Amino acid sequence: MNTTGRRTTELGLLVLGTMFVVGAYLLASLPDDSKIPTTVGPFLGIIVGLPLVAHIAVRRLAPRADGMLLPLASLLNGLGYVFIVRLDEARREPRGLAGLQSVWMILGVAAFVVTLMVVRNARKLERYRYTAGFAAIALLLLPLMPVIGRTINGSRIWVSFGPINFQPGEFAKLMLAVFFAGYLVEKRELLAINRAVGPFAMPDPKHLGPVLIAWGVALMVMVSQRDLGSSMLFFTLFLVMIWVATERASYLAVGTALFVVGGYFAFQAFSHVRERFDTWLDPWDKAKGFQVVQAAFAFADGGVAGRGLNLGVPTKIPVVESDMIFAAIGEELGLVGATAVLIAFILMIGAGLRIAQQAASGFERLLATGLTTLLGFQAFIIMAGVVRLLPLTGVTLPFVSYGGSSLLANYVLLALLLRISDDTASRDMDRMAANQLTEIG
Amino acid sequence: MSKQIRNLGVFLLVCYTALFLQVNRLTVFDAHDLQHKPGNNRAVERDFARPRGTIESADGVVLAESVPSNDRFRFQRTYPTKDLFAYVTGYYAFQLGSTGVERQYNDELAGRTLSFNLDQLDDLFVDREQVGNVTLSVRKDVQQVAKDTLGDRAGSVVALDPRTGEILALWSTPSYDPNLLATHDFTAATANAKVLNEAKATRARTFQERRFPGSTFKVVTATAGVERGGVTADQPSYPVRTSYQAPGRGRPISNFGGESCGGTLFPILEVSCNSAFAQMGTEDVGAAGMSQIAESFGFDRDIPLDLPGGVQSTFPVKAVSQDPVFLAQASIGQNAVQATPLQMAMVAAAVANGGKIMTPHVMREVHDEQGNLVKKYDQKTFSTPMSGDTAGLLRDAMVSVVRQGTATRLAEGLDGFVVGGKTGTAQLGSNPPRSDAWIIGFAGPPGEVPHVVVAVNVEGQEGSSEATGGRVAAPIGAAVMKQALTPPQRADQAEGGSAQGGG
Repeated sequence: MNTTGRRTTELGLLVLGTMFVVGAYLLASLPDDSKIPTTVGPFLGIIVGLPLVAHIAVRRLAPRADGMLLPLASLLNGLGYVFIVRLDEARREPRGLAGLQSVWMILGVAAFVVTLMVVRNARKLERYRYTAGFAAIALLLLPLMPVIGRTINGSRIWVSFGPINFQPGEFAKLMLAVFFAGYLVEKRELLAINRAVGPFAMPDPKHLGPVLIAWGVALMVMVSQRDLGSSMLFFTLFLVMIWVATERASYLAVGTALFVVGGYFAFQAFSHVRERFDTWLDPWDKAKGFQVVQAAFAFADGGVAGRGLNLGVPTKIPVVESDMIFAAIGEELGLVGATAVLIAFILMIGAGLRIAQQAASGFERLLATGLTTLLGFQAFIIMAGVVRLLPLTGVTLPFVSYGGSSLLANYVLLALLLRISDDTASRDMDRMAANQLTEIG
Repeated sequence: MSKQIRNLGVFLLVCYTALFLQVNRLTVFDAHDLQHKPGNNRAVERDFARPRGTIESADGVVLAESVPSNDRFRFQRTYPTKDLFAYVTGYYAFQLGSTGVERQYNDELAGRTLSFNLDQLDDLFVDREQVGNVTLSVRKDVQQVAKDTLGDRAGSVVALDPRTGEILALWSTPSYDPNLLATHDFTAATANAKVLNEAKATRARTFQERRFPGSTFKVVTATAGVERGGVTADQPSYPVRTSYQAPGRGRPISNFGGESCGGTLFPILEVSCNSAFAQMGTEDVGAAGMSQIAESFGFDRDIPLDLPGGVQSTFPVKAVSQDPVFLAQASIGQNAVQATPLQMAMVAAAVANGGKIMTPHVMREVHDEQGNLVKKYDQKTFSTPMSGDTAGLLRDAMVSVVRQGTATRLAEGLDGFVVGGKTGTAQLGSNPPRSDAWIIGFAGPPGEVPHVVVAVNVEGQEGSSEATGGRVAAPIGAAVMKQALTPPQRADQAEGGSAQGGG
């Protein structure tokens, strides 16, 4: 495997992506007045500088890692940034989101570099599985604490330190992925033993206990915090990982059944769940459906080629900078732009699963699978909600949406995937070298 | 594990493919429907800060224009004629969206049609925003007469030229002042819209509401009789009686006031004889023929009027095919027969124009700012419900209704013109007796195709005799047609000429 080629590819792709983002930014700024915007300097610094920093970090710290993930993430992040800048400027009273987002991007890349520096070997994370599990639960409970907990837009998923609002749930997801991977690798043989329960093959409940507890706690916290999207994401993560670990499809069946029962219970018990569901089925003529209806109008206005950057009216869509940003992309870049975003995510999923397939240890394989699932499903859940394929649930579109916690967490996720990829490639190289030595010897 | 990871990849790929397909649906397949959904005012929003062309009446009165404003939208849309043309121009508002001509010809007014774009190729380097000015066929003088004669009674007046389908007047009471909704004070606009909606003052009764047409529908039945039932001027002669009982059970169809009537086509139309027309529709024409003729006039069809939001008129096709009693009722415009005043004007237009209904429309021409013609309404035939011979016969019959029947007052002030018409009185309640008064009719110089057709509906009048239509509605129709037959005075010429160049 030509691993130096990977870095060259990465650099090439980064340059291409950056050119696209810079071009998009200039186009977005032009139609108003034909002057070069004054913020062009800092903007170029962010958009050109950050990918470069990340690239150099990968060269130094994970030189043999996959070369596709970083350029794709950086392209999505840049595209999202252009839209956030453009959307914020269109507001009558700009909320300064563009400036904040650039700070978050700097912090995100910093977190990326720090993760690569601190986690020198992904397998070592296996040791911290229970720590990670407890950390996940603690993070999830944090917003429920008095004083620091905050409810924003009906969801109590925020923690506030002075002026900084933060969603600990974004990091809890990563911790849970680490915990599940470590725990399932340890127990997977036991978990894979089926016991006949009537006509069904069921795993022994004894080994299932801790996982069910972790899952139950996560789910309860989510429901009490009214964060349906994350709840769905958690459950999917758990289900996928136990299925992949045990190679038992019965877990999928049992899990899906659990999901249906849980969903029905939530539908009966919580008015906000019922509301989401009703809105999904019939968004017209209801104030509640305003968001998805406006999103649909935005896509319709976009057509195949889009209205053009800065030529649409995406600010009509509520929370367009975060959850609904995919609709703004659909409006101004059209089917073509939306498809490009979809393809970028598919390529990232492909790269992530390839890393999982090639990883040497069971833990790394499971962790890579879990991280890719988090990324791929989170993107799917929110985009599907925006286009009314699924009920709308409030999660961010990874790398694209405005949102600091999400961006930070996703850069850490990216760093972990690259770390696993680098480990795998290094081990293969070592083995090849060892083989050559024995041949000589 | 590798098999599971691969399957996971396949599953995610399926999910994303579903996403891709749904995005296709929104951006391409459903895009047109979504863009025309009520409540979608994105087009307005996009264009709101751009200049916009004027809307002018046929006699040169500015009905809508954009004047510079000092707020963030640069232009304020204003309607100098206030409520007079509200249902024609519609409004162009930020939060409420747009209606009427403002909506229908949005692309032309905003200067966004192909011909403009081609024109603009050499304008690329000139800093100018091209817009289109729309000239309508409606006339301010005719509209004003319609408004004044109807007064504060709820109702509708439609006047059109049967030869072209050009609408000359489209008035209904209550109306509203579009300026109230177009104001940039959005709080006020929303409040005004609420008040107007509660007063039901934003729906055009001329083409967005249905009423019972009463006896004016007998013109449709008569057409069916001649076309499908072998009815001529001489035969059959319907028995003189007070009521008609269709085969089957149900209440017989009685004549107004229990009077006896009957005879051939002309006399029964002159006195609007219920028993005779019920028999004609039920026995001579039949359910299929009545339904087909009604449909060819436009019932149960979308009328391609160039104003959005119109409703269909209805003929109870299913009911009449099941029960002759229903057919008898429908033949005299009862049962579930409902029509817009525009539809009834089209019925009169078919008779006036040799059997052919021209598609009704309000747009005549679009000019660019230099006065070059950019677009002209392409006149189309909507439908031909009857032959020229049938039309000639019915025309004579309707003329005799005015000469010696229920519609004599339709000829008031129209000396020297050939005038034909048919009254209608649609009973709404009997205690106290209230009814809708109708008239449909036409007028023109002798020996020519009539120049104007009119349909008038006055709602909820006291009394319920057949005379109500002739007493209440006919004078309005006469006054409107009289004005329409007077050559228009262009407002700018009257003021001594203006910059309207070319021609």
